[in-house]
Amino acid sequence: MLQDFLTPQKQNFCDHTELRAQINKNRRVTMLAGNMVANTQSEKGGVSARVYRGGTYGFASGAEYTPESVKSVLAAATENAVFMDTNIKKGEPPLPSLKGAPEKVELKSPIAEDVKQSALIDYARALDELIVKKYKKLTGRTIVADLLYKEKLLAVSDGTDSHFFQPRAMVYAFLTMETSDGVPVELFKSFSHVGRFDEAFKDPHALEEELDNLYKALCDKSEGVFANAGVRKCVMHPDLAGMLAHEAVGHTTEADLVLGGSVAGSALNKQVASELVSMTDFAHTAFGETCPLPIYVDDEGTIAEDAPLIKDGVLVGYMHNRETARHFGVKPQGNARAFEFSDEPLIRMRNTVIHPGKNKLDDLIASVDDGYYLVKTSNGQADSTGEFMFGIDLGYEIKNGKLGKAIRETTISGVAFEMLKTVDMVSDDMSWEIGGFCGKKQAMTTSMGGPALRCDINIGGR
Amino acid sequence: MKNLAEYALAQLKKAGADKASCRATKGRKDEFNIEANQFTLLRTVFTDDLQLKALVGGRKGVAIINKLDRDSIDDAVESCVALAKSAEPDEAEDIAPLIENMDFDTCSGEADMTGLFNRSKEYLQQIQDELPKIIIEGFSSSYSSGETAYVNSNGVCFTSKNDYYNFNSMFVGKDGEKSSSFNHGGAYLKDVSQPFINAGMHRQLLEEAQKSIHTRLVEGKFTGKIIVTPACNDVIWDTLMHNFLGDRSMVEGTSRWKDSLGQAVADKKLTLRAAPHNPLIVADPRFTADGFLAEDVDFISKGVLKSFALSLYGANKTGKPHSPTSNYNIEVATGETPLAEMLKGVEKGILLNRFSGGSPGASGDISGVAKNSFLIENGTVTDALQETMISFNIIDTLKNINSISKESVSDGVTILPWCCLDGVTIS
Repeated sequence: MLQDFLTPQKQNFCDHTELRAQINKNRRVTMLAGNMVANTQSEKGGVSARVYRGGTYGFASGAEYTPESVKSVLAAATENAVFMDTNIKKGEPPLPSLKGAPEKVELKSPIAEDVKQSALIDYARALDELIVKKYKKLTGRTIVADLLYKEKLLAVSDGTDSHFFQPRAMVYAFLTMETSDGVPVELFKSFSHVGRFDEAFKDPHALEEELDNLYKALCDKSEGVFANAGVRKCVMHPDLAGMLAHEAVGHTTEADLVLGGSVAGSALNKQVASELVSMTDFAHTAFGETCPLPIYVDDEGTIAEDAPLIKDGVLVGYMHNRETARHFGVKPQGNARAFEFSDEPLIRMRNTVIHPGKNKLDDLIASVDDGYYLVKTSNGQADSTGEFMFGIDLGYEIKNGKLGKAIRETTISGVAFEMLKTVDMVSDDMSWEIGGFCGKKQAMTTSMGGPALRCDINIGGR
Repeated sequence: MKNLAEYALAQLKKAGADKASCRATKGRKDEFNIEANQFTLLRTVFTDDLQLKALVGGRKGVAIINKLDRDSIDDAVESCVALAKSAEPDEAEDIAPLIENMDFDTCSGEADMTGLFNRSKEYLQQIQDELPKIIIEGFSSSYSSGETAYVNSNGVCFTSKNDYYNFNSMFVGKDGEKSSSFNHGGAYLKDVSQPFINAGMHRQLLEEAQKSIHTRLVEGKFTGKIIVTPACNDVIWDTLMHNFLGDRSMVEGTSRWKDSLGQAVADKKLTLRAAPHNPLIVADPRFTADGFLAEDVDFISKGVLKSFALSLYGANKTGKPHSPTSNYNIEVATGETPLAEMLKGVEKGILLNRFSGGSPGASGDISGVAKNSFLIENGTVTDALQETMISFNIIDTLKNINSISKESVSDGVTILPWCCLDGVTIS
């Protein structure tokens, strides 16, 4: 556990300053076609300082974490801040004070650092054996068992100091099969848990039902057809709604990207979606339950609060750091986060969600005469224009309200604020996804979720 | 670094490793940041890194830390050997044999931080003066220097000292409420003697972002040609490296080229190689991650598959030849067709500057959105495209390369020409 060498340095703070000590520990085992190709532990940690002076920041970091190294990193960051202030001369006033904020928040969470590597090895091996034994048509398989454990200690000149732990355990299963003409097709599923690896992943048979479904879907896909390219009526499975929330809307409403030219800059307080659509970047609690990635204090020392983005179809806000919050004249809500000790905080999403509606998923499918049911996504990307795309790993034709043939891998795209206006049914269930990393200069763990949606969307194909 | 790496190696052997390797790096990076056309940050990062690999009875363990003091190394050694002992044996695991040890020093001298800062200011000023509708979403310029040593228990010892400058810029065109798609570009440079805006095709990408604020929707669906520019290197070349030539697809057996060595897999206009020794390559790893001297290797020569991109492990596992090279420093050989002539030959198609699509799978099916791209009509580049989808299969399409340009562009990591592909579904 990190010792507090930061607080004593507060007496040396001259400007707005953040001092952060952090350790990221990662354990990973990869079984590729039954071969253990990765058996790795990494531990990267250190201390960083960021100092704000006159409208620009100076930042420095080092791997050593001692009282002396904290002092020297603080001095280096201050020197960088002075250089920038002297040479750029923005002349901005100090950041507004976070009056009334608690002095310190300490969060207790499951300690995951003592999980043995053998827990990951044994699990990956057993899961691999289960897959080989049960799913006979596979031509390839990869199993990844992964544990990421972060500990952060933060001391700030103004705001809330914090100390917290964040473990994330993951299992990924990638399955490959061949079509009748020998073309390989793939599907993967991730299983996640916030906490110790060995709490969530004890018996691979616990995943059997979901793996059965994955295998069946892969069999369907191996007999799949190419989608008919063009704008089609589609039902998006809840697993896609999170990606929609994150990529299509989330990124365009990050205030640094708004200032960088995002289309959301001119859409505030305007109708950008159908009235059935509401969306929030939750801090730590959503719909009465703790979110998959609870954030209580961000890396600027701001107490985290929910950031409403769309309410009944109207764009009502952006996500901010302290500097952009001042620019837009609003209160920061704790979106400034850094992934590694050597990263500066950037505006990042936390638990970004489209709210559930009132329809049943079955009714959404039954209502489509000719379209597609899009079930799994591999990746996604957003654009400053609001255009977005998702890779679609699994989907089915819908003919006369019933599911038809599976489709081969494809991509969907749309313009978020146009496509969301076509949403005319929203299911009453929702799913969360925390398996991936968001890339925006730095990697970042984020969570996302939402319900099934019926909408019009452009689909790639032949 | 060499002494430190040798200390860690000795400790690994002492702790019970039959075979072991160690890579130790110490570096520093200074980086200026710009957001929304304003300087925001100066960042200094000290980057220490130690990667240990131990083999015990063919069982592998890898430990990675970012500390270089003796206590931390001793702890990492203990973890690494314990990891190896807990793993499964695999006969394919090995370390590089001793061939010839070498020391490399490609440092250009002291950091020119004043030059870096002035070039960054100049870049911002040039954007504001010459391309007023461009907004820089995010820009970073940096100087990195470092020293690395690789040693293993077969007696291999490589050391290198390297430094380079780098800039990366993400930008949009903006006119009132209308925005272009974002685009990005950058380069690795040995010095800062030239304005950043003149590097590679950077100025062209900025100008095209400004031209693509107002876009045109292509109605309907048709089959046509696409010209993939050097800026769009991921859609074709990265997919080939990852999905058909590299360790994962070969070991798993999903590569569609797994039995095609020595056979024609592409049009004979295509030669694809790793070229770490090309003088245009700046960020050049002199030795590979698994301890071999990095060599220039032809993967595809005149359409024929000559080599996979296999590590020592991948080669041992598959029985295919090892490829001692960096898989990042990709060069596609230039062709016979001037770019202007290539454009004239396209009746209806797309000039593809960026691709945003689903991760291509083992089938080679690719579909996604043509970003920052332009319509080509009757041999002329006309309007910027709005949300246009392209779909093709890379295995099929590479057999149908229409032409490769005489011109090429390097960003210090890759060297790529323009490549015209036929038979692409555009919708």
